[in-house]
Amino acid sequence: MNALLKPLAPVLACCGLLAAWQLASLGLKNDSFPTALDSLRAIPPILTDKESLINILASLRRMAIGFALALSFAIPLGLLMGRSRSMAAFFNPLLMLIYPVPKAALMPIIMLWLGVGDISKTLVIFLGVSLPVIYHSFEGAKAVEEKMLWSGAAMGLSPGERLLRIVLPAALPEILTGCRTGIVLALITMVTSEMIARQSGAGNILFNALDMGQYDTVFAMIIIIGAMGICLDAAFEVIRRWLVRWSEPQFDMPLSFS
Amino acid sequence: MGVTPIRPGQLAGVPLGRRPAEPIIEIDHVSQVFKTSSRRDHTALSDISLSVEEGAFVSILGPSGCGKSTLLYIVGGFVSPTGGTAKMKGKPITGPGTDRGPVFQEFALFPWKSVLGNVMYGPLQQGIKPSKAEARARALIAMVGLTGFEKFYPKELSGGMKQRVALARTLAYGPEVLLMDEPFGALDAHTRTRLQNDLLEIWERDRKTVLFVTHSVEEAVFLSDKVVMMSRSPGRIREVIDIDLPRPRRREELLLDPRYQKYIVEIERMFDASGDNELPS
Repeated sequence: MNALLKPLAPVLACCGLLAAWQLASLGLKNDSFPTALDSLRAIPPILTDKESLINILASLRRMAIGFALALSFAIPLGLLMGRSRSMAAFFNPLLMLIYPVPKAALMPIIMLWLGVGDISKTLVIFLGVSLPVIYHSFEGAKAVEEKMLWSGAAMGLSPGERLLRIVLPAALPEILTGCRTGIVLALITMVTSEMIARQSGAGNILFNALDMGQYDTVFAMIIIIGAMGICLDAAFEVIRRWLVRWSEPQFDMPLSFS
Repeated sequence: MGVTPIRPGQLAGVPLGRRPAEPIIEIDHVSQVFKTSSRRDHTALSDISLSVEEGAFVSILGPSGCGKSTLLYIVGGFVSPTGGTAKMKGKPITGPGTDRGPVFQEFALFPWKSVLGNVMYGPLQQGIKPSKAEARARALIAMVGLTGFEKFYPKELSGGMKQRVALARTLAYGPEVLLMDEPFGALDAHTRTRLQNDLLEIWERDRKTVLFVTHSVEEAVFLSDKVVMMSRSPGRIREVIDIDLPRPRRREELLLDPRYQKYIVEIERMFDASGDNELPS
């Protein structure tokens, strides 16, 4: 019974949400609150429209580039901060200053300097993703067992090799937790950047529709963006589990030797 | 105190043609002072001098807090002493090296590597061909009794098995000295006894120099050629005792041997007399 229900649970939750939406919308009879069915019906036209698809793919491309750049910058920085006191002492106050600032709030200035094109938007995504990844890489690197590093040193690993071949894999579970937060933040900053710099992208479709009063399209885009987030997160979770399969116990009880 | 003369009996069972009298490790007036948060200096080790002959099994025995692990870390090159020098084969120790292989109480295995991957790690790092490294690793895994567990991750192993892997991993890169830091301290009594027996059996085959830190009197006497007794606050060597028991040693024979019992009683009395009686065995 339980085994049958478990995979169905998210589907049931979705159906429940859509039903509640449908009823609320029918009850309220507000133009700016289309029914769930109308919104769902508006999805296929968006996904079959070449222009919209190009826009959505452009969004995803910026998101992927911003995310990848952020990882290649944030992971090494976080690991170095976790293993070097002076690195941590230097960067921690800086990051603490940047951390609470909404990255989208920087968008106007960035636009002023770099224009409204891909560079500005990718940069905002990069900033949004970097901070949680730095933080988690830092925490992960700090927690690496000293004796593990000593074991590596005794095998002849240089400090650089120890960082790459011991600290990085040992901190990987924590780093990937940061990356998972980063993916969601990438999606959020992607949409907000397109909301501010209205030129192309999924966020642009949404806000154009809003301007034109096409509320079913607005809600359809919200569903599409949400679904993208869920799919990205689920795909990442599969990769994450595979990468850190060694860190999760595969047996309830450790095997006894005797 | 420092250098003790070698009694003939200590060499019983050492194959001819080997000269175990060479000191492989020399610890010369080493001291270690830590700065504590209250700005008062804590002297962990005070003026330690000790030499370890090649091929000897030497235990450092003492209550917790006597700095015995710190002494081992200094020999390992993981910690620099604040005073004095430690030498390996006449050369001052400045850092870790493949000639000194540590085995820690915490195992410190690489959790992302399988048993085989852990044991192969050192040889691969030394530039040994993967096929050769694997053959060596498999042989060592068999020697520590873990054949069939090559593909397991450390997470899936019990404490005793993890320590077997850690020993194999260290032996794999061929250190001249094994530095064992309370290696069986985290294990239950039964597993501990089994690992002591197996370690002794493995050691008696090739007689690598072993520096073994423990707080168990029985463990020290059972395994060692020489027991270095330490006292704490500050950590000093208070006595070096040669354990003149024949090898190969077998637990069931030793337990009935009055000489073995006498060593244990004597050492325990000495600790009791000094007030360092927090000595769990």
